Amino acid sequence: MEIKFSIRRHDPMDGENPGPYYREYIVDAEEGMTVLEALLKISEEEDPTLAFRRSCRSAICGSCAMTVNGFARLTCSLQVIPEYQKMGAMRIEPLSNHRTIKDLVVDMAPFWEKMEKVAPFLMPAGGSEGNPVSIEDQAGIDESQRCIMCGCCNAECNSLEIDERFIAPAASAKAWRFVGDVREGHRGKRLERLSEEHGIWDCVRCIHCTQYCPKDVKPLKQIESLRSAAMKEGVLDNPGARHVEAMADSVERFGRLDEAAMTFRTLGFLRSVGMIPLGLRLEKHGKMPHPYIFPQIMEIDEVRAVYDEIEKKYGLKPKKEG
Amino acid sequence: MAGELRYAYYPGCVSQHMTRETNDSTRLVARKLGIGLYDMPRANCCGAGLLTDYDYRLYLALNARIFAEAEAMEMDIMTICSTCLMVMSTANRDLRRDPRLLEETNKVLAAAGLHYSGKVEVKQFLWVLAGDYGLERLGEHVTRPLGWLKVAPFYGCHSLRPSDALGFDDPEKPWSLEATIRALGAEPVEYRGKSKCCGFQVDLVAERTATRMTGVRLLEGKRNGADCFVTPCPFCHINLDNYQGLAEKAVDERIGMPVFHLSQLVGLAMGLSPRDLGLSRHLVSPEKVLK
Repeated sequence: MEIKFSIRRHDPMDGENPGPYYREYIVDAEEGMTVLEALLKISEEEDPTLAFRRSCRSAICGSCAMTVNGFARLTCSLQVIPEYQKMGAMRIEPLSNHRTIKDLVVDMAPFWEKMEKVAPFLMPAGGSEGNPVSIEDQAGIDESQRCIMCGCCNAECNSLEIDERFIAPAASAKAWRFVGDVREGHRGKRLERLSEEHGIWDCVRCIHCTQYCPKDVKPLKQIESLRSAAMKEGVLDNPGARHVEAMADSVERFGRLDEAAMTFRTLGFLRSVGMIPLGLRLEKHGKMPHPYIFPQIMEIDEVRAVYDEIEKKYGLKPKKEG
Repeated sequence: MAGELRYAYYPGCVSQHMTRETNDSTRLVARKLGIGLYDMPRANCCGAGLLTDYDYRLYLALNARIFAEAEAMEMDIMTICSTCLMVMSTANRDLRRDPRLLEETNKVLAAAGLHYSGKVEVKQFLWVLAGDYGLERLGEHVTRPLGWLKVAPFYGCHSLRPSDALGFDDPEKPWSLEATIRALGAEPVEYRGKSKCCGFQVDLVAERTATRMTGVRLLEGKRNGADCFVTPCPFCHINLDNYQGLAEKAVDERIGMPVFHLSQLVGLAMGLSPRDLGLSRHLVSPEKVLK
């Protein structure tokens, strides 16, 4: 089956024609051919100047991640024909949210810098004589250990698209690999660092990371685990944790979300005052959230019973700070 | 034709309060279409993702409590909020694929005298229109086709992903909102950001990220020729409309883009009045795109 590939070419070092521009190649794709195999065919038979990274061809090394038809994919584990049949095109671009070095090769330095920021190594408490790790203990961090550092999640991350300083999903999932390890001795310190600005609470929960991870690391789930752990560890003095606490209290009291109280408690008094101009505009259109004007849901006692039962069975309340 | 469509109706907290125009207009439109919406007076908040951060087991149990109410009503749930859809569907997926988790959650629910057996489906209004009800049938109710309107569909992220929990539309090639826009006689506008995030989850936590994200989405739709946006999600509506002024500051550009709730656009094409649809409650007036 002949398929037209449209590939983004870009060579910032080329003085005459740096691009970016799209060049088309016709590939005779066989059943089962992967996108990476098609790129290799183009490079070997038609255009040796096309630059892209690859190594293992077996979804282990994580080198060949690119944007295919708008989404980050590991090209060695994506077949040409089904992709073409679904999307009606074969547009290959470098990973988003990363600077292009040449053609489909991106600069991964910021990716590694974020990784380094979370101290990706175990730091057991001093003087411990070794810790037994049960199968259940291990299960909690299994998913985070599947990462092959391909960068698909960061390329898809909606928050990183807007704020390049955001810690982003790959390093967050890696952070959980150590925070969630029973042998780790610096859990509190790690969670404090992760709760700072541009940290775990800046995730917008767009779910792209989990959807497009080729190894099912589920970065968003690991971010949620970090957030829960931070709150249970008593790292509460930040807008993200205050936001969640306000929600948990609101649902326990009313069964519902109380928008006004959420705003006030998350922002604190001073920043809430800064919201007054917007509040006045909202009020004009009848949209200003007023506290407590809605009734409780029916059978709110059931909700409180659920809270109590979770507290009794598993422990719910965060440790107090300090 | 099958019997009357009946759903346990879960508007979500925000649609009962800040964006109540979407709740009101959905009820109006559903009544005209003959879709039965039955209230869930006991239903609690799904947690909007924040309860998932707080405690996963609490999140599961509180969502199972919602499902237990729908199960007792012998109906599937219809929501008009993409975040409620995603949060409830994810809990439902986890409970249904792990019998032990369902059992443990039911032990918690037993303290409230409740039980969930895993039979409820969660849908959103968009899916009901494009799926259960059918767009052809919707088209029969269009008395005032919106032929002059170019509409940017804004799915937002929570009506498409995670696809293993939602499953109705295709996250890489979504069609339901475009098809609905066409069924109303209007023309959908294509742009990459249509299935990306509006930023609302960090409105209060990382305001700069949120407002810039909203601005980027609106500008992209505008540059591709949109007269207005439509969204199936009230949270997206809050960011795209209520906070459009902040978004304009963040991207340093005037945008002036009217944003409709899905129910309002459907209502307009069915001949309902802007007043009945609550259009005056929008901060960016949609007047200029109404004929």
